[in-house]
Amino acid sequence: MAYLLQQLLTSSVQRHPDQLAVRARGSSLTYAELETRSSQLAHLLRDRGVGRGDRVGLFFPKSVESVVAMLGVLKAGAVYVPLDPHAPVRRIAGIVENCGLRALVTTADKRRALPPAAVSCTVLVSGEPGGPDEMPWSALGAFPAAPPPEVSVEGDLAYILYTSGSTGQPKGVMLTHRNALTFVDWCAATFAIRPEDHLSNHAPLHFDLSVFDVYNAIEAGATVSMIPEETALFPQRLTAFIEEQRITVWYSVPSALVYLVMHGDLAARDLDRLRLVLFAGEVFPMKYLRQLADLLPHTELYNLYGPTETNVCTYHRVDRFRLAGQERLPIGRACANTEVLAVGEDGRLVEHGATGELFVRGPSLTPGYWGDPDKTARALVPNSFAPHLGERLYRTGDLVTLDEHGEYLFLGRRDSQVKSRGYRIELGEIEAALYAHPAVVEAVVIAVRDEEVGSRLRAVVAVRPEEGPTASALQAHCAGLVPRYMVPETITFQSSLPKTSTGKIDRTRLAAEMEA
Amino acid sequence: MLDMHRDARTTIRTFVTERLAPAVGLSSLGDEDDLIDSGVVDSLGIFQLIAFLEERFGIKIGDEEITPENFGTVAAIDRLVASRSR
Repeated sequence: MAYLLQQLLTSSVQRHPDQLAVRARGSSLTYAELETRSSQLAHLLRDRGVGRGDRVGLFFPKSVESVVAMLGVLKAGAVYVPLDPHAPVRRIAGIVENCGLRALVTTADKRRALPPAAVSCTVLVSGEPGGPDEMPWSALGAFPAAPPPEVSVEGDLAYILYTSGSTGQPKGVMLTHRNALTFVDWCAATFAIRPEDHLSNHAPLHFDLSVFDVYNAIEAGATVSMIPEETALFPQRLTAFIEEQRITVWYSVPSALVYLVMHGDLAARDLDRLRLVLFAGEVFPMKYLRQLADLLPHTELYNLYGPTETNVCTYHRVDRFRLAGQERLPIGRACANTEVLAVGEDGRLVEHGATGELFVRGPSLTPGYWGDPDKTARALVPNSFAPHLGERLYRTGDLVTLDEHGEYLFLGRRDSQVKSRGYRIELGEIEAALYAHPAVVEAVVIAVRDEEVGSRLRAVVAVRPEEGPTASALQAHCAGLVPRYMVPETITFQSSLPKTSTGKIDRTRLAAEMEA
Repeated sequence: MLDMHRDARTTIRTFVTERLAPAVGLSSLGDEDDLIDSGVVDSLGIFQLIAFLEERFGIKIGDEEITPENFGTVAAIDRLVASRSR
């Protein structure tokens, strides 16, 4: 039984050396090639001083090299940190500093965009080295093809995923090999992925949906086809991709599927091979889910639920017979080796049918946030229901209730986190970006509910009148600090914002004005 | 006619430069510069762009027209708009 992610590869190489492991942008690698390249990268990284537990950033568009880099870093005993290739440079530089990156796998162009002192060792997947600290991809060939000896144990970190933080700084969710394998093992057993399967990879690599695509393909000896960022933009290209790459298993956020339902002309394609569609990350609007179920009559559909801190912790298989009468789709029941509890404000389990906050226990729980013991202590709390175990529970912040079938329903958040296109967004991080503009005196960001994308972001600000930036100037300012999905779609100005009796900005009133 | 055409291109370029390019750290863009590999037009940007074009030029862009050929550069978007405004 594998206790490290890279051991999934070792075992598939022995069974299917010539099977295609990964395809992207017209390139592909067999299992034997993936094993060799990733071992060579591990040796190269070690040769350049990358040691156990060191963080290595992956900062380039999706390609077959992405998967080589993920496994190569793990084989070196190090920890990979996928970085959004389109995020603002300042945000990336902040993450690089926050987790103390030792090395970076990137392209020559992306390396130039970052501050020169950011990292001391760079491996370039494309482009020419600009100095002695930069190694071209072709340098891999000089290193041994056999993997270096294993040094890690299952509790060591495998990767860190950065997610929006309410105080303005992204926070790094640390995930161990055991965390990831708990999820991968459950998926393997539940969805019976086979060597003949072709998995797509739609989610970006800094988003934990991609853990399924990459590692469950490898676990099964199947093929993963990475969808290039630019293909995902064009709905009919995306539908053609599913048909042409003979995709059998798809996993994405609901908004990507809504996009295909609305604009992808799914009916015109032969998608009979698509046996399984999984979705997670946000609420799937029932209207579009019913349309999807009609367009894919032979496909099994599953709603998966779980924050990055636990990966998936509950699941619900869509029941086509119940779909017509359902008002909301359950998030379902706990996955294997996971327990979920609905806890009331008094810290006790709620009665069946009452509303509580969802707490999670089990080996999929993150050990915490990189370099932030305070946030970690707030999110991971002692298990007061079984204190002798000395373990922690993760507080999701999600409010849930049990339905009459014994399945959980998601009701909302107990804080100001919102979802848009499946991305987790702390409104406080956007407000912090607005306040960073010298002319902004007051700022509030409201998420207005939207069927297609989850929510749309609207900002209301008060500015110093003499400086008066335009809405588009403020949007450009935000775009330099936060990813595009966090830039408010509209910004309106008021001379001052309404306050509650305690002197806080009255979000409720502003939200009501916008919904009206 | 020529002037109107030039105006359309300026309008498109201004929207792309002011609303989309800053997100990827670009402050100026040539009409033939790639918008897709650079991330200027991403999955969110393409909808903001289509909504803007439909409203500003009073045209409807069909699903089959949402292609890299039509949205790859400012010049390409301009050609798409011009072909619809005739």
